[in-house]
Amino acid sequence: MTLAFRQRARQAIADPQLQRLLDQNADVRQQARMEALEELPQSGELRGRARSIRQQVVAEIGAYLDQFGARLAENGIQAQRAANAAEANRLILDIVQKHKAKLVAKSKSMLTEEIGLNAALEAAGIRPVETDLGEYVVQLRAEKPAHILTPALHLSTQDVAETFRRQLGASLGDDVDQINAEARRQLREVFLTAPVGITGVNFGVAETGTLCLVTNEGNGRMVATLPPVHIAVMGIERLVPTLDDLAVMLRLLPRFATGQAITSYVSLIHAPRRAGDPEGPTERHLILVDNGRSELASTAAAESLLCIRCGACLNACPIFREAGGHAYDSVYSGPIGAVLSPGLFGLEKYGHLGKASTLCGACTEACPVGIDIPGLLLNVRAEVEPKPLGRGLRLFSWVARSPTRFRWAQRTAALGGRLLARRAGWITQLPGPFAEWTHFRDFPPFASRPLRSRLRRARRPAKDRLPELEPEEAAPAAAQDAGEPDDRTDRFEAKLKALGGEVIRCAEFEAADRIVGQLYVLGASRLLSWGPVEPILFTVLQRLEREGFPVVQPEVPEGAGGTRPIRAFGEFPVGLTGAVAGLADTGSLILSGGSRRSLLPSLLPETHLAVVRSKDIYADLEGWLRAVGSPYVAGSSNLVLISGPSRTADIEMTLTMGVHGPRQLIVFLIE
Amino acid sequence: MKVQLFATCLVDSLFPEVGEAVVEVLAKAGVEVWFPKGQTCCGQPALNAGMRAEARTLALHTLEALEAEDVVVVPSGSCSEMIRHRYPELLADEPGQLKRARRLADRTYEFSEFLVDQLLVADFGAALPLVIGYHPSCHLLRGLGVDRQPLRLLEGIAGASTERLSPECCGFGGMFSIEMPEISAEMLERTLDRIRSSGIELVAGCDVSCLMQIEGGLRRAGSSVRCAHLAQLLAGREAGLK
Repeated sequence: MTLAFRQRARQAIADPQLQRLLDQNADVRQQARMEALEELPQSGELRGRARSIRQQVVAEIGAYLDQFGARLAENGIQAQRAANAAEANRLILDIVQKHKAKLVAKSKSMLTEEIGLNAALEAAGIRPVETDLGEYVVQLRAEKPAHILTPALHLSTQDVAETFRRQLGASLGDDVDQINAEARRQLREVFLTAPVGITGVNFGVAETGTLCLVTNEGNGRMVATLPPVHIAVMGIERLVPTLDDLAVMLRLLPRFATGQAITSYVSLIHAPRRAGDPEGPTERHLILVDNGRSELASTAAAESLLCIRCGACLNACPIFREAGGHAYDSVYSGPIGAVLSPGLFGLEKYGHLGKASTLCGACTEACPVGIDIPGLLLNVRAEVEPKPLGRGLRLFSWVARSPTRFRWAQRTAALGGRLLARRAGWITQLPGPFAEWTHFRDFPPFASRPLRSRLRRARRPAKDRLPELEPEEAAPAAAQDAGEPDDRTDRFEAKLKALGGEVIRCAEFEAADRIVGQLYVLGASRLLSWGPVEPILFTVLQRLEREGFPVVQPEVPEGAGGTRPIRAFGEFPVGLTGAVAGLADTGSLILSGGSRRSLLPSLLPETHLAVVRSKDIYADLEGWLRAVGSPYVAGSSNLVLISGPSRTADIEMTLTMGVHGPRQLIVFLIE
Repeated sequence: MKVQLFATCLVDSLFPEVGEAVVEVLAKAGVEVWFPKGQTCCGQPALNAGMRAEARTLALHTLEALEAEDVVVVPSGSCSEMIRHRYPELLADEPGQLKRARRLADRTYEFSEFLVDQLLVADFGAALPLVIGYHPSCHLLRGLGVDRQPLRLLEGIAGASTERLSPECCGFGGMFSIEMPEISAEMLERTLDRIRSSGIELVAGCDVSCLMQIEGGLRRAGSSVRCAHLAQLLAGREAGLK
């Protein structure tokens, strides 16, 4: 029997363009991950912590879900459990239909791919639109994602451009910037008009009931902020106990996924729109999907539930690199997919994926939580009846249980080898199933005198002594890590600039002048802004009012349906906000929502101007949470970490800024 | 000091020259080497095929064969890893056998690891004026964390310049090479490309299974580059695996 995986891999190998794209993916992503880890000297310790955090959750999943559920209820997020895919789809459909939505904006969620949500919505006459660029392209082509992180991995720029021309009637060239601009235009309309937004969840925080969303393009923020109803869909195992634990995971997930220290956006969603919030969905729902997970948690494959879906094992796997994601015929491909697919969706269809590995261990080496994927693959193999090779191996094992039989087998094989080998060379054609070896390479003949016949007596040691190594040379001490300068402001600036952000340092007294000046430099005609919640913004707004410069502080009327008033805020070129803090290790700004602190100025315009004070720069997220941050997370219905402009590399790994969110981020750093 | 050589079934049956070189090098390093007659195969092929019962039987057989208290040296990262990590896993539910497995695991060393870390020797006086490509095999590198040891041993060869090849799987993977031959061949091809593009004249490694795959590919491609187990080079031989 030829395995289905093998057949599809054959096709992938025969496709030169796919091979080029897979090579590119592996090379770029691996390089990026290694560089990101070089900058994280404590990564070994962090990985250990991340692993035990995830183990803790998977071991006591029920207790954490109870705690999480209680917090969600207090926070006003309407949570429901779904035992399987059908139930999850029905729950989601009920909500969508209750709001009479015909259009749903979706941000990328592999879980919704797993449960087949789009098909279920379409069957009910509802149009789901994928808004992650790669996922959008794949949806337009009616294909499946080729990679959990990079759904359009298998497509060239030309393929995508052709898809846009054919499916959207767009007139554009084979150019990534033009493609992104077209996607931005098409999808902006969806964000602004869809009555319901559906997102996945990267992590749920059990102690606070917080939903964490990690995105680069900004579509996740759009979908969770603009439509009046937000439905989040999450696997029951994607919990962490505390906010501190979340901070650990956030340091690892983006580094292992794309080599970024942090993604452009990390949203910490805590509640639906609250009194005083200028915008935000009035209803937030969470569908907690089991779909085989609890059952898996009680088996030896429970370890596969530690997975945080970073995709690093796909990028590291030499088999994925040849076969591509579609060869696995499952939403979860690559090494972890070869374990999760049989675990969640059944051995019958997916058991053979256990064989899609040389057990080389590159996956475990790349895994942020150290999942023993080769060990789990061995379990999968153990569950599948290995025939016909199994019969051969059973015979071999019987032979190897006796040295006498073994010696006899060696003699037979040596004799056979002599018949097959051409003179003294290697064998070029083996019989039976072994012919698969010699289709591609030669095989050595068996020795006419095996080692056991040659070593009848023990070998005495030599008399002369060899030079002995110094013990340090035998086991050199680990290199010391160079200390880093602890100038937080400088590090913040350097990191943010490296992400494509701009930093203007200025003193408090001149800040307002510089900001107003920047508006003129940008040629802006109007401004979307926070209210006067702090002195610099107060001065800026006062000056602009005096000068007659049009400024809008957005406030979306509650419960508005039909033609959504939020559209009016969609055309502003520049947004202005403050920030509650900055983070030196990632160059991030932290923006809390709330009264007069609209999320829209940091999301909708092409340029985002932000004010942050150097005294509010913290070393890292843990440091901020410990010092002052935790109350902000609970106090804000939607808190966001912004690290540079909106970005995507979904098409052929070409980095482009501003796919959905701002193209430009200028931070005024007040000293 | 006396050591038992666990030769591995591949070295015993296909590449006895590698085993002889191992014995020669160990003797040079001042240890007495003997070959326990009961040894056959460590059971890894069965385990990798998901046949735990057969793997367990062969693990017990090997425990028996290597029962003597002497240190065990294995010229293979893959089989060392099997004995050290997978035997205790396979026998986890059998307290008596588990104890034996742990004792064996504790006194089992891969060849290069044993020389450098245990015997503290690396300079065998071999001379070989060649560009040598070192292939870090997966189970040796990732399973045992052995990397600097073989490189240090290669450094001790006069006249040789060594390049460490990228640590990517050669595509062997045991039964994988026969069950997924097209992918295995592609992975092999990538390995051969790395060898070709760096002007390597000889490929060295610590696992004959990977070297058999690589040399099989080199020969099929008509290349004159050959593979050798590290022990063969330390023993001053350069002619290839056999």
